[in-house]
Amino acid sequence: MKRQVPLVLCFVFGIVMILTQFSPHSFSQGVYKEVISWALIIGPFALVLATVTLIQTHTARIRRRTEHWQYSLVVFAGLIIMVLIGIPFGPQNTIFEWLYNNVQLPMDATTFSLLAFFIVSAAYRAFRARTFEASLLLITALIVMMGNVPVGDLIWNTVLFWTPWEDGTSWWRQWILDNPNLSARRGIILGVSLGVISQSIRIILGIERSYLGGGD
Amino acid sequence: MVKTIQWMTICLVLCLSVGTVFSQGLAPPSNVTAVDTPNDDGSSITITWDAAAEGSGISGYQILRRIADGELEAVGDLLPAETAMYVDKAIEKGTAYVYIVRAVSETEATVDSEQTAPVEGKGEWFHTGKTPLFIAMLLFSAAIVWNIYSARSGKELFVRRIPGLEAVDEAIGRATEMGRSILYSTGLGGVSGVATIASMTILGQVARRTADYETALRVPCRDPIVLNVVREMVKTAYLEEGRPDAYNEDDIFFLTESQFAYAAGVEGMMLREKPAAIFLQGTFYAESLILAETGNSVGAIQIAGTDSEHQLPFFIAACDYTLIGEELYAASAYLSREPMLLGSLRGQDWGKLLIFAAIVLGVVLELSGVSWITTLLQRVS
Repeated sequence: MKRQVPLVLCFVFGIVMILTQFSPHSFSQGVYKEVISWALIIGPFALVLATVTLIQTHTARIRRRTEHWQYSLVVFAGLIIMVLIGIPFGPQNTIFEWLYNNVQLPMDATTFSLLAFFIVSAAYRAFRARTFEASLLLITALIVMMGNVPVGDLIWNTVLFWTPWEDGTSWWRQWILDNPNLSARRGIILGVSLGVISQSIRIILGIERSYLGGGD
Repeated sequence: MVKTIQWMTICLVLCLSVGTVFSQGLAPPSNVTAVDTPNDDGSSITITWDAAAEGSGISGYQILRRIADGELEAVGDLLPAETAMYVDKAIEKGTAYVYIVRAVSETEATVDSEQTAPVEGKGEWFHTGKTPLFIAMLLFSAAIVWNIYSARSGKELFVRRIPGLEAVDEAIGRATEMGRSILYSTGLGGVSGVATIASMTILGQVARRTADYETALRVPCRDPIVLNVVREMVKTAYLEEGRPDAYNEDDIFFLTESQFAYAAGVEGMMLREKPAAIFLQGTFYAESLILAETGNSVGAIQIAGTDSEHQLPFFIAACDYTLIGEELYAASAYLSREPMLLGSLRGQDWGKLLIFAAIVLGVVLELSGVSWITTLLQRVS
């Protein structure tokens, strides 16, 4: 019973939500919006549970004095400060906004900026011309990179001026992006779309039910 | 004095005559029709008319409407002269409206069209423009359902080898031998994301093996709902493998909802705990390479899988194995080898075959100068 009810609900709502995509009538669009808003209601309840697990995890870390346990104190300090300011005064409060803009955003930006270094190290490994495919990747990447900077065309027009292409690196870069790259991407997107439909059908029909967890 | 008055009268008469001649030259908009906009929820009416020819002197159009026996009111702004259609979205459902299209000249002279028949907006139950899409969806769904149920007969189905999934056992075995943990990230997607559901399904299979091998499985979650579902799934996997004692709820925990804070948190775990195997399965954005490169730097065997095609190159460059797009969705069938799930994969292949045939047919027809298939697809999109 614990499984049957969710499976029936999943089937009914799955079919209804599919049908709403083909019906522009205000009733079906109303049903769609209503169901989506129900799903949103679940979020805050789950967030409470998540906050409890966060507190439990970090309390345990502090109690056991695990490696770098001091950072858990920072988590609690951040949590308490933001809750004490955010709940009574709201998210538009000056201090709350200041903390968000001057603490959280710069930290996010710092983590994001690490990406530049990781791209270099990943590119170094990927572009080592040890196989035919890796060599092809290296040449393609070089053309695309050169096509993205003005000096690429300058070099092309100086050295390869006798070729039929003016601004050749830009032209080849665009050709690579528009043809082989786009074709491969669309192939992946088609596969993903069919995979999503197939997975959805398995879920709606109750064949794929591992996401339901346990219980009969 | 008398002469001045005579001259002024003549000028006035001449001006009026010229104005009349010009206003008579301004033709009223023709073929004005107002219809309920097809395939909408009944919240608009479409008005069409023949666009003015060049040199007609019309500088724009003003749409006027009225409810039966009501006053005429202007709708929207003055439309440019080349306009031949207007969609009135400010209507009340169930109310009949009559429309007039007023042509306006450069001298601001106006001439009205004949009024249209009364029309009211009605919502349609089925979007006729999506009929080909609906039929394609039915055909594809039928193919999958047919294959699912035909697979119940027990017929052996061939599924091509997916190295990323073959390596799951190897990764878990390696972690067990090294006595280190396994880190599993379901990505940034919510529970409604199909990629996240696929990821959780793979996690269920991984949990069965970690229960057998008694290997620690750490799952940091970004979404609170995903956290709860994942806990239930892993707990069930351990129960079904007869190892409820090995299940540790604290190993599956909420990290944060913030994208880069999540990335930093998972990175920290990788550097501190040095897991032997890392699974990055689900929806990922800019943090994909941050996670994959950090995992690589600690020497973990990494199996990634995502349907975010922009992140795939990063995973391919930094991970040992990558499930590309649809392989992520095939994982549950591949790992569990359940006939019904494998049947759905064959249905999926039928769909791909159909699309491939449509592409080839479309190219051949287009090269032969026949473009109905292209027109049909453009209409659907």
